[in-house]
Amino acid sequence: MDKKKIAITLGIVCLVLTISICVQINTVKNANSTVAQSFTENSLRDEVLKWKEKYDNILNQLDNSEKQLSKIREEATKNDTTASNKEEQITLNSNLLGITDLEGQGVEIILRDDPNATRETIGVLDDISYHIIHDADLRYIVNELKNAGAEAISINGQRIVNPTAITCIGNVIKVNDEKITSAFTIKAIGLSESLAGIDRPGSYVELLRENGIEVTIKKSSKVKISKYTGAISAKYMNLQK
Amino acid sequence: MILIAIIIGCIIGALIGINIPTIPYTYSGYLAIAIIAALDSVFGAITSSLKKNFDMKIFISGFFVNAILAILLTYLGKKLNIDIYLAAVVVFVGRMFNNLGTIRRYYVEKITEKKGKKPEEKSQEKVNNN
Repeated sequence: MDKKKIAITLGIVCLVLTISICVQINTVKNANSTVAQSFTENSLRDEVLKWKEKYDNILNQLDNSEKQLSKIREEATKNDTTASNKEEQITLNSNLLGITDLEGQGVEIILRDDPNATRETIGVLDDISYHIIHDADLRYIVNELKNAGAEAISINGQRIVNPTAITCIGNVIKVNDEKITSAFTIKAIGLSESLAGIDRPGSYVELLRENGIEVTIKKSSKVKISKYTGAISAKYMNLQK
Repeated sequence: MILIAIIIGCIIGALIGINIPTIPYTYSGYLAIAIIAALDSVFGAITSSLKKNFDMKIFISGFFVNAILAILLTYLGKKLNIDIYLAAVVVFVGRMFNNLGTIRRYYVEKITEKKGKKPEEKSQEKVNNN
């Protein structure tokens, strides 16, 4: 009887012990994979991980408080027409700024580099760089979408906002300082018929297709575009007096 | 009996532990020292159960108080910028080796007793040499 009791207690303790050992092993393994392996300076790595954790926590907090703020705003403006007008304006402005997740009718354009382009298939006379997508192509398409009345655009999840630049850095393209590569998914919200007109005869999209680049354009009644996650700063601009 | 319970506990614990989410990296240092303390308690328990003076109250209180004290020392060490947890590790691991030695002797004696008189004398000499 007494031995049984001892055995059960020891079994439970060992259970707890192995659980915590496994958790610890997993934690350390994850920590090593999030920071480069060659980063052997232990205290430095600790610091980095702690800051990263803090950053993630604060980002979550920010998200939560933004949600709370919008809820409070909604409640505060319920029975007040002037206030609800202001609230509508604020929502519209933040939608235009790109700091909210949006959804609406529009198009989804998927661009893929020419899958058949190799030195052998295109020959010596052709230039292989025609068969891959460049930053200029993306800029052209974004421009055309804007011209067709797109209200919100994103490329591979990167929202096109006022300070967005689409630039080429070697073998990748940088949008909002984030590196993206083929395949590119360009989402745009607007009147889907007029946005889909980007695929008209003789258009830039046609030119891309002639070069072997795969372009698929899909009209949709529910395009979802995520918000701009960076910071928008205004250091030098002031209102005119 | 005790051995079987320990093995079953370890297997189930490993299965659960693999599927449990990880803890924040900031606290992994504290968990590590708590693990060492718990391991020490388990070895102590095995030794005392072999000596037949196992006391449940002492074991349970030792398990928690040792782990908590080790965690507190680690925390204090981080605040004072000195690695106090090393002292805890040294003490726990030293005790673990002591207990392991007792367990080893117990089983070695048991096996040699079973084998008969001649080998027993030999082992007795060995024990004395140790």
